[in-house]
Amino acid sequence: MSALSDPKGALEDLTRAEGWVLGVSVAFLLFLFIALLTGALGPSYFLFLVGLAGMYALLSFGLNSQWGFTGLINFSVAAFFGIGAYGSALITASSSPVGEMLADVPIVGSLVGLPIVGLVVGLVVAFIMAVLIGIPTLRLRADYLAIASLGLAEVVRLIVLNERWLTNGSAGVRGIPGFFQGWPVLSTFPEAMPGLRLEIIPGSPIFLEASFWQALLNVLLVLAFSGGTYLVLRRAHRSPWGRVLRTIRSDEDLARALGKNTYSFKMQSFILGSLIMALAGVFYTHLNLYVGPGDLDPITTFYAWVAVILGGSGSNRGALFGGIVIVTIREGTRFLNDFALPIDPAPLRLLLIGVVIVVVMRYRPQGILPPQRELIWPNAIDGRGTPDKLDSGVREQKGGGGDE
Amino acid sequence: MTVLGYLANGLVFSSIIVLGSIGLSLVYSIADFANFAHGDTMTIGAYAALVTFGAVGGLGGAVLGLPYGFFIALVVGIVAAAIVAVGTEKFIYEPLDIDSIGLLITSIGIAFIYRALIQIRFGSDFTRFDIQPLRPIESLVPFGVRVTLHDIAIVGSAVVLVVGLHVLLQYTDLGRKMRAMADNPDLARVSGIRTKRVKLWTWVIGAGLAGAGGVFLGLFNQLSPRMGFNLLLVIFAAVILGGIGSVYGAMAGGFLIGMINQLTPFFSDVVEALPIWPGWLARLLESLISIEYANAIAFVIMVAVLLVRPNGIAGEASS
Repeated sequence: MSALSDPKGALEDLTRAEGWVLGVSVAFLLFLFIALLTGALGPSYFLFLVGLAGMYALLSFGLNSQWGFTGLINFSVAAFFGIGAYGSALITASSSPVGEMLADVPIVGSLVGLPIVGLVVGLVVAFIMAVLIGIPTLRLRADYLAIASLGLAEVVRLIVLNERWLTNGSAGVRGIPGFFQGWPVLSTFPEAMPGLRLEIIPGSPIFLEASFWQALLNVLLVLAFSGGTYLVLRRAHRSPWGRVLRTIRSDEDLARALGKNTYSFKMQSFILGSLIMALAGVFYTHLNLYVGPGDLDPITTFYAWVAVILGGSGSNRGALFGGIVIVTIREGTRFLNDFALPIDPAPLRLLLIGVVIVVVMRYRPQGILPPQRELIWPNAIDGRGTPDKLDSGVREQKGGGGDE
Repeated sequence: MTVLGYLANGLVFSSIIVLGSIGLSLVYSIADFANFAHGDTMTIGAYAALVTFGAVGGLGGAVLGLPYGFFIALVVGIVAAAIVAVGTEKFIYEPLDIDSIGLLITSIGIAFIYRALIQIRFGSDFTRFDIQPLRPIESLVPFGVRVTLHDIAIVGSAVVLVVGLHVLLQYTDLGRKMRAMADNPDLARVSGIRTKRVKLWTWVIGAGLAGAGGVFLGLFNQLSPRMGFNLLLVIFAAVILGGIGSVYGAMAGGFLIGMINQLTPFFSDVVEALPIWPGWLARLLESLISIEYANAIAFVIMVAVLLVRPNGIAGEASS
């Protein structure tokens, strides 16, 4: 609100890092906008990228509520993402064996194939898996948790790869409908909308057709998902529950000494994060319309990790920024391969991810946008008589303090 | 294949796992973080040996079916892995001012950088050393044991390296310093041990053994940029099973995990033969205990061990 009523003051209030991120983001958006206008970037593809960025932001929110809030090193992001994606895909896909198996069951048979049922199933399976993985691993020391969760994620990947009767093995699941199939108005919305022809720059017209409206719906969906998640997480983070999590993160023994059942809190945080990751997986299924075991590769886990540590552990704005960076790396390497350097994009992506991890840990371990006021109720700041005019050095120290 | 045959295969695979797990355990106890780049250090050793072997060729004679040139390649692989690891320690890990969790995350970045560079240079396809594959040793085939001279060379070299490490740790000055540092780094430092130098030697030894393991893995299977990362979790399972920080525990854990890994087909035969009731449980077990899940079984055992004994089988009661 304050940013709208007093834009100049809000701008001056930013720390140097915030200003820098804002500047780069604006420049990047401008670049994309120009590419759109000149027709170099198709509008449907642009919206696909926005959807993907939203998906990674969602994935990062999930990891953030485990690592950023509570300090749980979860290296099984890809597993929960994959469970959401496969859960929803198997319920809705035309080629899925689940549909055939349940077709004869009276009420259930008619529900199979609806994406909203896929969403529920994906989340329920992810919940069960989170409890199953959490029970043995959350009692462990932090670094053991990292190893065990990476191992269990690999088990999930192997099961998806090898149980061909269910998951179609390495070929993956195809024939997945969009998320809005079977909804009253929205399922026919893309076809119902007129095809538009915009000519902003003479000679390079832009066509807005059914695929564009489909992509627009997906973007609105991911905005709803991630916006809702953001609000829930922000509320949760500032609540007494979030304070306990932060205490566990900085000193688990202290939290225990204060009478908190840290195991139970860690489990709640783990489940919350896992559900958000599965939600990202469900969205990805209906965005990409294909899932394969490659999506469960550990690299997916570390995309989310890079997004979180780059943005700043515990910072949801940072996770959003990190999600955009990840999409830039993912699609930028593909673009580079097509137009500039003929380097295989897969290892280049790996290299960039590795370099970003090392550089961030070396020069800015607290991340680019460490959480500062996010953790404080706004009225706690505004309520004080004098507005806090701290110089940025102190603020950065504060942000770093939450990172231990 | 008979049980004896599986056991023989297990012994060969165990040798490779042991070489990897010792290095990981050493670094874990002395540099004090879980090094996720350890698997890719093995890959570096394997590819360095591949390049060297391609350059020097066979050099005439052969021992145990392996040309002389291969042993030069093995040494180069060990040295290359050690140099890369020491360089990484000097330029990346040492200047970092973060806790062990931060180092763990950094090591993942390092692992990706290693693997990406290898993949850019050599492509993602499988390759092999240019050595003629041997037939199994004739006199052992009647017992159901199908091992080649190469396998014997792998086990023999691993035994030499492990015994060498044992002598180094127990009877040399460096070994005593390393054990002191693993016990209590601060106490070691105030006693006048140059901990930085000992740490560097730890990296040399750990990465060197990993490099040797990588070369043998390439000889045993094939080379690919993912070979080390794929093995990493099995090695972690071995280290955790043996108790983190205990080198001898890592040896035992590596031996056990390697055996279990190669005995999986035998276990699946046993499950098929056993009268398990009810029928769905039998079918479930049969489908889960199969060769595709050999690695998964190792991880599940690891998690089970962590649940019962968080400090590993050979680990101390409390840390």
